[in-house]
Amino acid sequence: MSNNRQSRIRHHRMVVFSLLSLLLLTLVLPLIPYAVADLGESAGKVVNPGADLWREVRQRDRSVIGTTRVKGVDSGVLINVYGEDWRQFRMQRLIPYGAALMGIVLSVILLYYLVRGPLRLQGGPSGKKIQRFTVFERTTHWFTVSVFWLLALTGLILLYGRFVLIPLLGPDGFGLTASACKEAHNLFGPMFLVAILMLFVTFVKDNFYARGDMTWLIKGGGLLGGGHVSAGRFNAGEKIWFWIAVLGGIVLCVSGLILDFAVFGQGREVMELSHVLHGIVALIVITVSFGHIYLGTAGVEGTIGSMTTGYVDEAWAKSHHDRWYAEVKAAAVDDSETEPAGGGSASTGVASPTRDG
Amino acid sequence: MFEQLVDGIFWDIALWVFAIGVLWRILSIFRVRNKPDYSEPRASGLAGAIGANLRRFMPRSEMVSRTRLQFVAGYLFHLGLFALLVFAAPHVLFIEAQTGLSWTAMPYWAFIISAQIAFIGLMLLWIYRIMHPVTRLISDVDDHLAAILTFIVMFTGCMALLGEFNGLRVLHRFMVELWLVYFPFSRLMHAFMFIPSRAFTGAWFGRRGVKA
Repeated sequence: MSNNRQSRIRHHRMVVFSLLSLLLLTLVLPLIPYAVADLGESAGKVVNPGADLWREVRQRDRSVIGTTRVKGVDSGVLINVYGEDWRQFRMQRLIPYGAALMGIVLSVILLYYLVRGPLRLQGGPSGKKIQRFTVFERTTHWFTVSVFWLLALTGLILLYGRFVLIPLLGPDGFGLTASACKEAHNLFGPMFLVAILMLFVTFVKDNFYARGDMTWLIKGGGLLGGGHVSAGRFNAGEKIWFWIAVLGGIVLCVSGLILDFAVFGQGREVMELSHVLHGIVALIVITVSFGHIYLGTAGVEGTIGSMTTGYVDEAWAKSHHDRWYAEVKAAAVDDSETEPAGGGSASTGVASPTRDG
Repeated sequence: MFEQLVDGIFWDIALWVFAIGVLWRILSIFRVRNKPDYSEPRASGLAGAIGANLRRFMPRSEMVSRTRLQFVAGYLFHLGLFALLVFAAPHVLFIEAQTGLSWTAMPYWAFIISAQIAFIGLMLLWIYRIMHPVTRLISDVDDHLAAILTFIVMFTGCMALLGEFNGLRVLHRFMVELWLVYFPFSRLMHAFMFIPSRAFTGAWFGRRGVKA
């Protein structure tokens, strides 16, 4: 009797002990990983089996090109690691620094104009005209100007539109404008190559380094040291602008064509590099063009006529391009010696052009 | 509202003005009667008309060096514009929707090249017109307006190329309608009149044994 009672008690104890043990294990076992983690590296590292996979996918350590049955450029790259670098550069450097550069240069030009005013012709115009640019040269110039500014304006809208135009037009209006500008920019881009080639062929012969260019530069074209500096058909400043326009134009065209026609096997990295180069060079050329426009219009009296009518006043030619003026006069004298009496156009007050319009 | 007008009544009005205007201009020119020419012809007037039409596709040899820019730019613009007008895929689809007639559109790369050469030609021609003292002097508002309007039509067409925004398509179509209305009353009529004009001059001189 007493044996049965003892056996039942032992059985109950075992059941209770088992239940308590089970409860304890249930509560404690899930805490073991945390306890092990707290013990530090020496206790052993628990590695997420998916970590390597996701590290490869996110390309944090290096760029990995995987394999795929999809045929195409960069089709083996899940995430382009340089994409974020490019985005950061565009948003945090190109856009603000570009705006600052253009703003500062425009402000300096405006300030210079307000303080010094336009450069007047000493002694006033003579009334006698001399041909500076032929019809073809002017047509080439204005064709280049037209294409350049169409591209510049559409490009600036694409770069700065979201900051300037969204508050004015709203997101939908800007979307429409940006789409229109993108199409126009892409279509007119290749035309700039034609314009640059025409510009190069037309003007290159007078834009090589010549004697006196260094002096012109040292004296800042007359800004430093006072007085006009001797120059040929184009002074050193104009030559520098010519080469910036031509070389910058070529960089813009090549990088633009890479972006425009993404069908020649160029990958994202090449496209990003082209975009960065395109943006930087475009902003530089646009900024330098401000100076060219100022000097060609409001900055120097009598200059604008050279690109509208093709003629400038003799006093202007003597003052700004004395060596070229002397060459033109010498050539006119040579022509008049070979022409029959009564020829020429002295009665009209226009010097005989050296180039046929 | 504006979109409905442009796609509806404006388009109908523009087409009617264009069709009636062009017909009226052509008929009015052909109705002009010259004095009967009783002289015995020295050569065939018909041959003179055909010859003048063909010869004037090229500048006279002594004028080649002076007209090189207009010659090249003129052909670039007109050939490019013709290709765009007739063979651009959006235009082929539009004509098919309007008339049921259809033909093969040119591929995208050909469209791009056509647009490029048309724009280059038009811009060079217009800038040359302004830059050359003689052409500037003999040009009037009509010449400039025709060039600017044609440029805007082409430009809005290019901007609408992506087809993502209906507003750009409507803008392009509206500019086309303005262009169609302006066409019969301007020098744009040369598109229809250059052959009869050359033929008349060629025949007139041809009868007198002169190569026009």
